[in-house]
Amino acid sequence: MNDLSLAMTFVLVLLAIYLSYKDKIGLEKEIMIGSIRAVVQLTVIGFVLTYVFDLNNFVITTLILILMVYNAATVSAKRGKDIAHIKSMSFFALLAGLIVTLGTLLLFGAIQYQPSQVIPVSGMVIGNSMIAAGLVFNSLQENFQRRREELEIKLCLGASAKEASASILRQTIKNAMQPSIDSMKTLGIVQLPGMMTGLILAGLPPTDAIKYQIMVAFMLVGAVSITAFMASYWAYKSFFTDLEQLRQA
Amino acid sequence: MIYSINIDTIDQILLLSHCYQRSLVYNKSATSFIRIIGAEVICVVFLLDLVDVRLSFQGKTILDGISFDVQRGDFVGVLGSSGSGKTSLFRMINLLQSPTQGNISYLGKDTLLYPPTELRKRIGYVFQKPYLFGSTIADNLMYPYQLLKQETNLEEIAGYLAKANLPKEIMTKKINELSGGEQQRIALIRSLLVKPNILLLDEFTASLDEENTRVVEELILSEHKEQKLTVLFISHNIAQAKRLAHKIIYLEKGKLTFYGSADEYFVQKEL
Repeated sequence: MNDLSLAMTFVLVLLAIYLSYKDKIGLEKEIMIGSIRAVVQLTVIGFVLTYVFDLNNFVITTLILILMVYNAATVSAKRGKDIAHIKSMSFFALLAGLIVTLGTLLLFGAIQYQPSQVIPVSGMVIGNSMIAAGLVFNSLQENFQRRREELEIKLCLGASAKEASASILRQTIKNAMQPSIDSMKTLGIVQLPGMMTGLILAGLPPTDAIKYQIMVAFMLVGAVSITAFMASYWAYKSFFTDLEQLRQA
Repeated sequence: MIYSINIDTIDQILLLSHCYQRSLVYNKSATSFIRIIGAEVICVVFLLDLVDVRLSFQGKTILDGISFDVQRGDFVGVLGSSGSGKTSLFRMINLLQSPTQGNISYLGKDTLLYPPTELRKRIGYVFQKPYLFGSTIADNLMYPYQLLKQETNLEEIAGYLAKANLPKEIMTKKINELSGGEQQRIALIRSLLVKPNILLLDEFTASLDEENTRVVEELILSEHKEQKLTVLFISHNIAQAKRLAHKIIYLEKGKLTFYGSADEYFVQKEL
């Protein structure tokens, strides 16, 4: 694809703007700003990544990964505003998911610790984990408010905070993991994921592209489950006092 | 409960000091609590002992200077108008809330010093609104065994169901298939299965008809007699308080205005 071909694809954005204008949907400005932001942000990141890939420096690569985790933690933490220490919990849950998944891929030689491999793979891991952590925080907040009576009844019977929260934790982790599992089930049948599509478009044979996609599917399920477990088991404690009483809403 | 001890350890001195302090708070003679016979000390430790308990929330006083003691086997009616702090009192005894001031002791030890899970297994609490969790009745009646880390005793469950006038088959029913009265009885059995020493009942027959009220009262009375279960119950029903209570606590705007024998209370109030 040459630059002119890429520029011509902007016609599709103009089509979207026209449809919005014609039906008075009122999204013309949003679509325009969104598409300009996408072009600017991706161009900048393209240059940054080229520089970082050329530099191939362990410390800088690691710092970039930590920065990515921090940004993702800030976003997912917004889903659980009422939870104490939410930002640090979110950060460490995402970090744990990344370390275990990336560590496994490196250990088995699936990828090398080079910025050109580690940064895109981590981007996918952190992005999916961020969504899972957000779902966890949102679900915990909603359930601890809605099922307060059930929790207190269980506490009254002598259940610990963990025992009383068990069914909420199970449901929360299940909800957070379900999208990744559903997505894995439909791979190749309903969807050809972005990474695989990109590799095929770049000229890699589909039989090779699927290997990477299989690796990505496995690592995402692993990362999401680790993040969901850690986020749930850390965050539920903040709803209780040291005396295993439910905190006032 | 009476302890006979020799003062030779720090713990025993602390226990003695604890008893003495309580006796001063009640303005009773210290010797009625501690009798020194030679080197031996006889010390009375209550099953439940509240001393100058206060509770406030967001600047509002809910309970103000509550002091009373409960001995093993007591059957205490807690009376008072709505909003007088009865439910808050139960929540504090069960440690669902901590007092803002004062202390609550169970067997001579501050309740805040017990592991909360252990204390709550000894002091059961049945809410006014019966709340059943999970999907079936079995989920509710098997839960106490999970908490106690014991095998489910189906015979014991069947025994309680029979006493509560409920069929054994109810175990497989969904929780939303039960009437309010049936749910209340299941909630009560669920608490009894934990085998508490004290049971706090918050308007436990409010949703029951006359016949089922009698059935549930019989169940509680049999536990009281056979297991020496100590009961504190909140009720707005004077006839029920007369039927069941040996002692009465009366709360008015968060203050304890009467604590004594039920006979004395009903004579005083001409009820």
